[in-house]
Order: sequence, then structure tokens, then C-alpha cells
Amino acid sequence: MIEAKNVTLQYPDGTVALREINLSVKRREIVFITGPSGSGKTSLLKLLMGMEFPTGGTLKVLGHTLHKNEMDKIRWLRTLMGPVFQDFRLVKGRTALENVMLGLRFLDLPLEEMKSRAQEALFKVGLQHKANAPVENLSWGEGQRVSIARAVARKPAIILADEPTGNLDKENAQNILELLAASSRDSNASVIITTHATHLIDETKGRIIRLQKGAMERADE
Amino acid sequence: MMKYLFKNTDYFMKEAKIILSTNLLSNLTSLFSMTLIFLFLAMVVAGWWVSSHIIEAIQDEAEINVFYPETLTATEISALLEEIEVIDGVREARLIHAEEAYERMEEVLGKEAQVLTYFTENPFSPFIEVNIQLEDLDGVLADLAQLDKINYVRDNREVLEDLRHLAGIMQFLGYLVVVAVGIATLIIIAHLIKLGIDHNREHIKTLILLGAPDSFIAVPYLLVGLLLSAGGGVLAAILSIFALKYIYALTAGPLPFIPLPPLGNITVNLFLFVIILSALLGLGGSIFGFSTAKVK
Repeated sequence: MIEAKNVTLQYPDGTVALREINLSVKRREIVFITGPSGSGKTSLLKLLMGMEFPTGGTLKVLGHTLHKNEMDKIRWLRTLMGPVFQDFRLVKGRTALENVMLGLRFLDLPLEEMKSRAQEALFKVGLQHKANAPVENLSWGEGQRVSIARAVARKPAIILADEPTGNLDKENAQNILELLAASSRDSNASVIITTHATHLIDETKGRIIRLQKGAMERADE
Repeated sequence: MMKYLFKNTDYFMKEAKIILSTNLLSNLTSLFSMTLIFLFLAMVVAGWWVSSHIIEAIQDEAEINVFYPETLTATEISALLEEIEVIDGVREARLIHAEEAYERMEEVLGKEAQVLTYFTENPFSPFIEVNIQLEDLDGVLADLAQLDKINYVRDNREVLEDLRHLAGIMQFLGYLVVVAVGIATLIIIAHLIKLGIDHNREHIKTLILLGAPDSFIAVPYLLVGLLLSAGGGVLAAILSIFALKYIYALTAGPLPFIPLPPLGNITVNLFLFVIILSALLGLGGSIFGFSTAKVK
């Protein structure tokens, strides 16, 4: 699903965000990327989403090498991903249901299936009763869950979650991790999660990759 | 693309509504501006069509008068008529007797016709009235000059040339205004679309990160451009019909001899023309605005 060989990311100002990353993620595998702030976790997710491009090494996502000048291919690859953004990226002025459906609108699904998938995803994150609430009226945690519902509803090949448990209490954080794990089982998706909450990781069966100053420190099978 | 359109109609309409209501005042001002621009266009085009119709009607009556020696016999006059009728650009040639020429002058003079009674004899000569196609005037005159039995030709050349010139000016003006309005509309709509995109930059960025194709992202903006431009077009078309009715009412009384085209035809054609043109310009402006905005 994901193959990174000696991937380096250096920004134009000279900052090296990632160095010599070697990573292989298989189908249905759950990978936790941990590390302190500024260690390169978000940069790695940005590379996987085609928001940034390696300045060294090769990166293959779903069998395709990502190139800056192939934006159409990258857009198509993104339709196979379920991103959960750190800042949620929910569209204000629209309801929770509309936000979840937004991720399905261009996936070649019948309208009825779009609706049922969105409602099912909101049910899974426990927000079925807030389906028609504008997202700006939701709490921080609820917004985060809508963002996860949007990713899960797409039944993606890869779920990329950037700090999905941030600022959640232990119970809710565990629920979210369990939900992502269930989604991996249901749709054979690989899940890559960046998190600070290392104390929660033991309770799920996943691989842990620790980043330190842009380099991989440890990979636990 | 078509799949997106039908499946997501509700989404596109709602997004277009949100984009419109987000900058409501600015959009209403733009709608008002579009209405004025298209009203100006409609009035110029109506003027172009009406004047073209009038000029065509006058051109159909374009005539030159051919005078011949009064010594010609009836057979010779008939032969001359036949020779004139076969000239390229001649629609019809008709003999006007001296008596008919006298009666016509009586009609023209009206109350002043009594001045003709001072003549003891009919002062008018018979002539051949030649109805021609105006654009063939030069050729017809050249061919007539080749004929022997003609004293002189009264060609009203200056008047006919002026008519031709006027028709050309109206046509040029019409095209010029269509082009000017087209450019102005494209610029206004493109600018509005860019403002809308700027305002929704984060939303668009989210769509891009979710993998939405440009065509999907563009549809609400195309709808907004279409609604503003075609909305302005519809309002302008309605106003221009009222204006035309008023102008016709003003003209019909004091200037009944002006051969105006039927009001029904011109209003229907004008209505369709303005609405279709405004819709096309709205779509064109939106596509231009979207493609030149830095959404990627």
C-alpha cells in the first residue's frame, strides 16, 4: 500500500523535515507514528497525501509514485484515501451530515448510498443525533468525530489520521482508535495515525514508528 | 461530469446560494450593473434591428428615374423598357405617364397642389421608374449609360449613398456594442467568481485534499456566474420590452409613415437574444474567472 525508500523532505528554506525514511505499510495494517512536536509526523502524512513531495528517495502510494507534475493522478489517489486533518477541515455553515457527505460527492456513488454511508458513519462515531447540526455548533471533540466520520464513510484504501485523539479524554480517544481499527477491518484499509498519546497505543494491535528530528528511531513489528 | 451534475444538484444549488448570500450586497450591485449593461445592449440592438428594417424597407423602394426623348414611339418605349428590365440589379421597370407624374406631384404637395393649376399644360414629362437593388446602383447606372435612347437619369445617388452609409454605421455600432458588452460582462463575472473563490479558499482546499476534481469544485461558481449574468439579462430584457413599447407608442402617432417592424417579432427576438447572450457570457466569465483563479 505504501512504500517509502530513503525518502527525504527538505523545504526551500533548507529545513530538513524528514531524512532517509524507509517504510512499508501493508493492507489492513495499522501504523502509529509518534514523536515530539516538530519530529516530522505531519510532514510524513503530507507526503503520503501528495501535499508535499520527496526531495530525495522514492515514495509509492497504492502502487503509484507521487510526482509534483501529476496532480490529476494525485487527486484520484486522494479519492482512495480517508484523511483526518489535525484542524478537521470541516466546512462551516454546513451540517455534520453535509460535511460527511462532502467526502462522498465525487466518488461515483448513488445519492441514496451517499446518504446512508454518511448516516452510518455518524452513527459509528456516536453523532447520529447531531447529523443536522451545523458544525460550528459542535464541540471540539464532536468536530473531530465528524472529521473521522467523513474519512471512514469513504471506505478508503488508506486512512491517514493526523492526531485524531488529540485533546480527547482517554475513553473517547480509545473509542476513536477502536473505530479506526474497525474501519481497517471492515474495508481492508491501512491506517496510519500520528499521535502523542503513546499510552493508548498498547491497547490496539499496531506497529509503532518513532520519529525524532525527521528520522526514524524505531519500528516495532 | 454529467453524473456529478445530476447526483449533486442539491449540493450545487445550496453552494451557489451560500456563495451568493455570503457577498449579498456586492452580488446585488453586480446584478444591478449587469441589468444596466444588458439594457443598454438591448436598446442598441433594438435600434440596430429597427433601423436595419427601416433601411431595408427604404432600399426596397430605391428607385431611379430614366427620362427619354418624347419623340419615341410606343414600340420604342416598350423596347427600351425591356432593355432596362434585363439589366443586373434591376427589380422592375415601369412606365410613368405624364398624367401619373402630375397626380403624384398633387399628392406630394397636398394643400399646395393648387400651384399646379397655374400651368396651362402638364409640366411633367413621362419617364421610366426603375426599382433597383441599392448595392447594384453603380452597375445599373453604367449599363444605362450604354443605352442610346435615354436623355438623362435622375439617380438620387446622394440620398441612396447616405442610406447605405447609415445602414453600415448602425451595423458597425451594433457589433461594437455587442463586443464591448461581452468584454465588460466577462470581466465583471470573472472578477466576482475570483472574489467568491477567495472567500471560499479553505473550503476549496478541503475539496482538493479530498480529491475533488476541478469540474466538481467549479460547478457552484459557474452557477453563480450564470445566475448573475442571466438574471441581469432577464431583467434587462423585461425593461427593454417596456421601453420599446413606449418608444413605439411615441413614434406611431406623429411619424406614422416610418415602416417600423412588428413590435411582437422584435420583442420576442430581443428577449431571446439578450437572455441567451447573457447566459453564455455568464458561463464564459465564470469559466474564465475559475480558470484564472489560483485554486490549486
